[in-house]
Amino acid sequence: MDILWLGVLALLLIGYFALEGFDIGLGLLLPVLGRTPRDRDRIVAAMAPFVLANEVWLVAVAGVLFGAFPAAEGEALFGLYPLVVSLLLSWIVRDAGLWFRRRLDGPAWRAAWDWAIFAGSAGLALSWGMALAAMAGGLSGPAVGLPGLGAGLLMAAAFAFHGWTFASWRLPDGPTGARRTGGALLASACVAAAPAAAVAAASAPWLLERAAPAGTLGVLSVIILPFTPLMVGAQVWVWRAFGPRSAAERMPSFF
Amino acid sequence: MDVLDLARTQFAVTGSLHFLFVVLTLGLAPLVAITHTRYALTGRPLHERRTRFWGQIYVINYALGIFTGLVMEFQFGLSWSGLSHYAGDVFGAPLAIETLGAFFLESTFLGLWIFGWHRLPKWLHVACIWLVTLTAYASALWIMAANSFLQNPAGAVERGGRLVLTDFGALLTNPALAMSLPHVIGAALWAGGFVMMGASAYHLFRRTADREFFTGSLRFGVIVASVGSLVTVGFGYAQFGMLGQYQPGKFNTEPLAGVGLGLMILIGQTLQLLLAFVLLPTVYWLPRWRWAQPLLMAMTPLPFVATICGWLAREVGRQPWLINKKLTVADAMSPGLTPGMVTVSLIGFAGVLGLLAVIDYLLIARAVRRGPSSVALGAPGPADPAERAPALSL
Repeated sequence: MDILWLGVLALLLIGYFALEGFDIGLGLLLPVLGRTPRDRDRIVAAMAPFVLANEVWLVAVAGVLFGAFPAAEGEALFGLYPLVVSLLLSWIVRDAGLWFRRRLDGPAWRAAWDWAIFAGSAGLALSWGMALAAMAGGLSGPAVGLPGLGAGLLMAAAFAFHGWTFASWRLPDGPTGARRTGGALLASACVAAAPAAAVAAASAPWLLERAAPAGTLGVLSVIILPFTPLMVGAQVWVWRAFGPRSAAERMPSFF
Repeated sequence: MDVLDLARTQFAVTGSLHFLFVVLTLGLAPLVAITHTRYALTGRPLHERRTRFWGQIYVINYALGIFTGLVMEFQFGLSWSGLSHYAGDVFGAPLAIETLGAFFLESTFLGLWIFGWHRLPKWLHVACIWLVTLTAYASALWIMAANSFLQNPAGAVERGGRLVLTDFGALLTNPALAMSLPHVIGAALWAGGFVMMGASAYHLFRRTADREFFTGSLRFGVIVASVGSLVTVGFGYAQFGMLGQYQPGKFNTEPLAGVGLGLMILIGQTLQLLLAFVLLPTVYWLPRWRWAQPLLMAMTPLPFVATICGWLAREVGRQPWLINKKLTVADAMSPGLTPGMVTVSLIGFAGVLGLLAVIDYLLIARAVRRGPSSVALGAPGPADPAERAPALSL
């Protein structure tokens, strides 16, 4: 049972990086790809229908960590205190940029929130790189440091590559000036998720030592597993509804 | 303030902000779903405009519910790792079920609903908002089950210095949950009804063009608020009997809890009488009474004040316990937490979330003021987005 929940946790974490990775990457590329307001609108509109379905994978990671590996939850989050705080603040600032940028008229308002999207995405990428580096080091060293910063920049590059591929897939010959297939998008998702997958694999024994007892895991399984088809179905529906053939630019976007 | 006070303040500030927005999310979701269903059934443009207008208010409010909720979820591990260490095997279960079985679906279906206008088949689009509503209420159930465990740790025994889950059913039949869940749900509908009443009264008072639109919405708001208020007050008083079993004397020791309780009852009881004996019996004529409209507008914040008071009473009244009679707040704090760490994160969270909350309320007020003719949610557009760009932004 603990192996099953370890698999669920790893799947959710890898899924978060593979999916939310392109949103963060596009946020990072917003000043580069979106030199005009119109290009920025197109880029944000391209990722907008996916964001809510993508970012929620990390909420699920935290939930499973608390429910199935409670001792690990406290140790990991507290051990990474400054990084978790910067990750949350960056996430909030990025999301605020998305939700608020179209809520008022005027180019200055929208441009300011576009910078919030960029700053939040940069904060997310750097925090994630540093957090993964700290976890790979067994939470022994300081959470913030020079090697961590290098990992953060690498993470940002991987997210940016994934975001660029997503934009070239959803908006062929759009702001990137390129077109990419679904296969290329899958490959860039693997690049974005590989560091997290490696850290998850390396942390597996540490996590298993901190798994909840069989009684708790049994209850979680009985209640959660029946929802799995609906969760998978909803995610698949998002991709079917908002894929590149859905005439991505036909409708004005809410974000 | 010492580190414990700082960590408690951080939780209180983020938790109160979270509930301010969540209570309206819960209150408006079914109203938007009902309105959308009426549109799907009748095809009347009036119902489409209502769905998009109230839906946009709901969605703008939703943003802050997410932002504050993220901080809530991660804060357990940041500041209160003693809780997951001692009781994570029990307390973690409802939270894990909430994230996977409820919020994961809610967020996914909300994205489909917001961006699915003019794209999804009609009835599947309606199904999305109903699934969002259903999963939001499922979230409320699991969060309240987790909170009720802290009030009254049912279904668990202590073994080897940690709590072990012995009876999952007892988490759901917890006397601390049975009356408080309907109380909270009633309060959400009460708040949602009041927002609908207040915003409609504004447009009727200003004599804007959408008279039919807001006459119907005002009546709907009064009816929903009346039902919600009755449920809230009824299940509020019903909690006192149960409370004697597990937290006798709850409101006598901590002054803040007593003040919160008193103010909540004052607001809740007064408005319940006003709704039951004045507003509901006159609901047919109310939209025409111009003198009443400023009063309805002015009353809009009261349910929000009352719900925060209710949470203060429920949470502060349990001090010094985090898990009643099992784990103190001081023992639950992460070992090694320093005042510097919490000060920085408290300033960061309170500053950023406080600023965004103010912006969000201003945006909601603006969306109400601009009315149904300039709603971005579900706006139809021509092929070239550049043509419409200035018009479609709110």
